[in-house]
Amino acid sequence: MTYNDLNIDLTDEQITLKRETHKFAKEVMRPAAIELDMLADPEAVINSPIYWDVMKKGYQLGYHSVFIPDTWGGMGLDPLDVHIVLEELGWGAGDLAIGMCVGCFPAFFSSMVPNEKLIDDIILPFCECEDASFIGCWGITEPDHGTDTLSPGTEMFTNPDITCDVKARLDGDEWVISGQKSAWVSNGTVATHCLCFLTIDPAMGMAGGGICVIPTDLPGVRKGKPLDKMGQRALNQGELFFDNVRIPKDYMMVDQEAYDGILDLTLATANASMGAIFTGVARSAFDLALDYSKKRIQGGKPIFEHQMIKHKLFSMFMKVEAARALSRAAFVYNLNNSPPLTQYSIASKVFCTQTALEVANDAVQIFGGIGLSKEYPIEKIFRDARASLIEDGANDTLMITAAHLF
Amino acid sequence: MAVFESTEKMYEVLGGLFTGLMNNEEVLAKVLKANITIMFDITEPKGQIWLDPNGGGVICGKADLKPDVTMSLSGDTCHHFWLKNISLPVAIAKRKVKTKGPLPKVLKLLPLLKPAHDAYPEIAKANGLPLK
Repeated sequence: MTYNDLNIDLTDEQITLKRETHKFAKEVMRPAAIELDMLADPEAVINSPIYWDVMKKGYQLGYHSVFIPDTWGGMGLDPLDVHIVLEELGWGAGDLAIGMCVGCFPAFFSSMVPNEKLIDDIILPFCECEDASFIGCWGITEPDHGTDTLSPGTEMFTNPDITCDVKARLDGDEWVISGQKSAWVSNGTVATHCLCFLTIDPAMGMAGGGICVIPTDLPGVRKGKPLDKMGQRALNQGELFFDNVRIPKDYMMVDQEAYDGILDLTLATANASMGAIFTGVARSAFDLALDYSKKRIQGGKPIFEHQMIKHKLFSMFMKVEAARALSRAAFVYNLNNSPPLTQYSIASKVFCTQTALEVANDAVQIFGGIGLSKEYPIEKIFRDARASLIEDGANDTLMITAAHLF
Repeated sequence: MAVFESTEKMYEVLGGLFTGLMNNEEVLAKVLKANITIMFDITEPKGQIWLDPNGGGVICGKADLKPDVTMSLSGDTCHHFWLKNISLPVAIAKRKVKTKGPLPKVLKLLPLLKPAHDAYPEIAKANGLPLK
């Protein structure tokens, strides 16, 4: 089911974009994610043709390149268009939507600093890719550093006792990289290229960082096993180990001079995207519950006819609409203005993921016993939503980071 | 002390840079294809420089146009940006440049600006401006 758009200025192209993305989400993503979720071994997920088929179809439709300018062959969509796409992808499957989104990180960041090497090696091949053979991951979190990595502007961020495990040193025309990224690296074990956030100058603490692209087929790169987790099981996550990996100097696109500012921009973009995706997740839970309530008969009539269910559904509807209003506003503002107002992206991420969990929880309650089974996708959506309160920065600590901006 | 002693001097140098580029057929073709109206909103010295692919060309001073992308920065940052002493992401990270306009369009500008980066050091040198 689609939704009534309160934006009366949507163009015909945007309405078509919404319809076509919804079709892909409904017919391709949702059924694939449900099947992948049932696989007990996360290694089986990435070995499944179902996973690769959905990724390939996503690439063929260009969803992997929505953030990248058309100069390079990306879709080059305007911010509102991207929000529309991300909400629909999230409606289809939050886990696959995140995988598709994160996959562009190396090329997206390269398009901010388009030196010739990055254009030839990263941006153009990624945009041209139609078979998902070029996939990026976001290597930031580490076993000992989760929140530590995402707190620009706070006191601890410049504490020299707190640095990344992954460090880079310049050796002639190459950077040499060593250290470990944690099992929470999205797309970690399927990625061909890692956008790696690391430490260059430990004396500056986390602020002494750098951002580079590391092809994962280089000598010294080792991948861990895919993480076995409660929700978002179709989103591959896993460790990356770097042992004296050498990359060309041009692959270090940001150094300590601008690291904290670019990290802030990253957080603003990633959190705004999470807000859009989990608006879609929340909406999917509402849609399923509404549909079920009109079919399930209790007390001689559809449960929708019972006042308590109607009341609960309307409460869910209001939350979804509020999530869209906030996430769209934050997304459109922050992808139209640099430097961004990061606190609004964080507000969007925190509010929309919390909303997704609350709406999915209410939906499970409406389904009753069957909602706990795998017969309907609502229990998967509930688990997917729960994971979102921790990924991309735990909501609690993100709120503290944002409050520092007041 | 500001790199550009006056708005007029800035218009002469940067206006000249862009006019030269727009006279280059290859660059002009790319600018027309990108179809992005850019306004550089400059402080110290105060001024505006517009690049309008839809007939206006290079305009130094206020114009009755609607920009797709606005870049707000000081004259010094402008000078160092064209010299490639500072990249756009670094300038944004350090709050030296503020951009307004869809991010893909801002990013789309970067490859278009390359010829300006290439041409500027000679122009700066000819006008007696510092290169560092």
